[in-house]
Amino acid sequence: MLKRYDAQKENIISAGIDIGTSTTKLVISRFSLMNMAGGTHMPRIEIIEKEVLYQSPIYRTPLLTASSIDIEAVERLVREEYISAGIKPGDIKTGAVIITGETATKQNAEEMVHYLSDHAGDFLVATAGPDLEGIIAAKGSGAYEFSKRTGKTVANIDIGGGTANAAVYRSGRLCGTCTLHIGGRLIEFEDSKIKTISPPVQKILHQWGAALKTGDSRNQPIIKKLTEYMAEVIGRMLRKELHQDDMPLLLGHEPNWTENIECIMFSGGISECLYQYEKADSSPAQYDDIGKTLAHSLRNCGELDSFNWVKPKETVRATVLGAGTQTTEISGATIHAEEDELPIRNLPVYQIRFDNDLEKGLDQIPDAVKKAVEIYDPQKEGQNFALYLTALPYLGFRDIQELSAVLLKSIEAKPLPNQPLVVVLESDHAKVLGQTMKVQESQQSIVCIDQIKVEHGDYIDIGHLLQTNVVPVVIKTLTFHQ
Amino acid sequence: MNPELIEKVTRLVVEKLQSQQTADVKQQKSSAGVKFWDHTSNPGKEPSKMSVGVIETEKQDTGGLIKIKSYQNTKDLKMTSSDKISHDKIESFSEKRGIDNPADPVELQALMSKTPARIGVGRAGLRPKTDTWLKFRFDHAAAVDAVYGDVNDELLNRLGLFKVNTMVNEKEVYIRRPDYGRKLSEEAKKHILTKCQKAPTVQIILSDGLSSSAIEENGEDVYLSLQQSLKSLGLDMGTPFYIEKGRVAVMDEVGELLKPKVVVLLIGERPGLLSAESLSAYLCYEPRKGTIEADRMVISNIHKGGIPPAEAGAYLGTVIQKVIKYEASGVSLVKKEG
Repeated sequence: MLKRYDAQKENIISAGIDIGTSTTKLVISRFSLMNMAGGTHMPRIEIIEKEVLYQSPIYRTPLLTASSIDIEAVERLVREEYISAGIKPGDIKTGAVIITGETATKQNAEEMVHYLSDHAGDFLVATAGPDLEGIIAAKGSGAYEFSKRTGKTVANIDIGGGTANAAVYRSGRLCGTCTLHIGGRLIEFEDSKIKTISPPVQKILHQWGAALKTGDSRNQPIIKKLTEYMAEVIGRMLRKELHQDDMPLLLGHEPNWTENIECIMFSGGISECLYQYEKADSSPAQYDDIGKTLAHSLRNCGELDSFNWVKPKETVRATVLGAGTQTTEISGATIHAEEDELPIRNLPVYQIRFDNDLEKGLDQIPDAVKKAVEIYDPQKEGQNFALYLTALPYLGFRDIQELSAVLLKSIEAKPLPNQPLVVVLESDHAKVLGQTMKVQESQQSIVCIDQIKVEHGDYIDIGHLLQTNVVPVVIKTLTFHQ
Repeated sequence: MNPELIEKVTRLVVEKLQSQQTADVKQQKSSAGVKFWDHTSNPGKEPSKMSVGVIETEKQDTGGLIKIKSYQNTKDLKMTSSDKISHDKIESFSEKRGIDNPADPVELQALMSKTPARIGVGRAGLRPKTDTWLKFRFDHAAAVDAVYGDVNDELLNRLGLFKVNTMVNEKEVYIRRPDYGRKLSEEAKKHILTKCQKAPTVQIILSDGLSSSAIEENGEDVYLSLQQSLKSLGLDMGTPFYIEKGRVAVMDEVGELLKPKVVVLLIGERPGLLSAESLSAYLCYEPRKGTIEADRMVISNIHKGGIPPAEAGAYLGTVIQKVIKYEASGVSLVKKEG
């Protein structure tokens, strides 16, 4: 009987967990991987489909005190949601935990994400960083997709409880990011009285000479003036025209795109106030803050009027969907990865540019390794790092041998030279390079993967080898707010 | 090598080219010659010059490590001044190429970067622009050269391969009589039987097939990388050799003679207009007379702009391992695996 030729296929389960200023949510999805190369080619494994299997209700982020997260409560919540979704932590092959907004400023934020990534799944990645939040939200909201499809310049502004994270895309290419201290929870109420005012807002009020303090009534015109001001600041940020007075609201760097924005899309909790996508019963969390007022101000802001408003695909769940479905990449299918060493987490990336000149590149390697040790492992405690080789010229077999020898020699400068040598390549050479290094130094454990684009200073996590001989890779930043 | 034929074809192509060109272009053309093509981003390749470069650097080698300059550099050094000038001209040529006033240059560039096909080349009235047309002719000439060329003996010596012939004595016969290319000459059979290890696990064969440039440009990298891959997998690889003017099914005869478990045949592909130097690796489990095509498998498109040759060699090792494990190749392997 004739058997149809089936391409190599595999399904993996991914989880996304978003711990935000106001809310915490979780999403479980399934990725279908398939060999997209023809039978006469080397395999090329791609994610061909992403299906969301389960979405949790939107919970209030459990806090112990104003400045610390209740780690146990978050873990309990995650475990219960896994049960509702009908999956075990061991089923999860990839995904990301992201800590966003003001939650990332809590004392135990870092502990929180690392704890969860260790306990909630085999290969769940810890991520944080305001730029990354913006990027992930833009992918979850559909802004990235929209820009790719239309070729337009789109800014996605994800406004949650604590921060507004903007990411600008044009034709699917990231142009820049910017984060502001603008969110629904910057002023909280209780019993129609002001319960808290966050420090950036206090600074603004101070600049205005306005006296607003906790315990005051919520019905004050200055609050509306404040949300209107916030909406204007967003408009100025999008035009890269922030005033000196606006600076207290800026978190991190100024807008760093050069393009003129055509369309804007809002996601996050405030976007939910604008569009109401969620069912009434899906959110047990209740808010008593300036969120709704802020949404109203955005809607009526003249500064934002001139942009073309595009409705998002997701509102409050954009970030968690982005974290669950848009963070995983798949390596090339011909790689050299020793399963005993996987998964590898939180590996900083040190980039070595060859500028299409092998000799020049080879000369740089020993110094680059020394510098990488200085930067990432100043205490010589053995923090490993990945070497990322880019702009390689065409490499013949003898070039590979030479490159391999130089790499092996250079890593002797590491405090623990025996730890796995992790090499990431842009071009498709990982298998031959890994194999050559193994032949030259059989005792050295080696993880050599390719067809991954990272940036200098990013962190990467490399997951277990899948059946299709690829590894899931998550590229991220890991900057916790000060 | 059949110099008269090459000359004839060259003349034909040049004549055709000249009929399309202005005086300026004609001048440029004559200095470049037909044996010039630029289908990858690398500078022009003159195969024999390249291999000479590699050998020379090898001689300088003193330590345990083989010092090889990057291919690009070697070639730049070896390039004669006239080559260089003509190359520069080509560069400025290709800059001019394209659509005059694209509506969205960024998008166009993005599309063009996705394929080596001739898109976004613009037009002059109903016909392609002159430089597009010239580039097309260049690529065609390169393809013709690849078919009619021969693999340099230096390369074979360097790789330690001995050379045998099929029943084909010249390229015209090779093209008209594919069946001759599938049979070894009597002398070749004797040669193989005396020189080769019998019943190896893996038998590697190289052949020029329809593109000598494929072997010249990419044969070495695939071969060395495959050799290393087999060694690390602990597979015995017998005595490799080179068959001149062979066809894929010539592996059946070798299978009869040496009885290897697996034959790997690295053979030049029929050249196309994007690459004249693409190499294929055909694999078969126990090929014998009467082996059907469905039992052969192939990894194709191995060249500098396709599957990187060194990576292909490393990958082939794992494919061979699978073929040995299942004792089958091609469709039979898919059946057994499934």
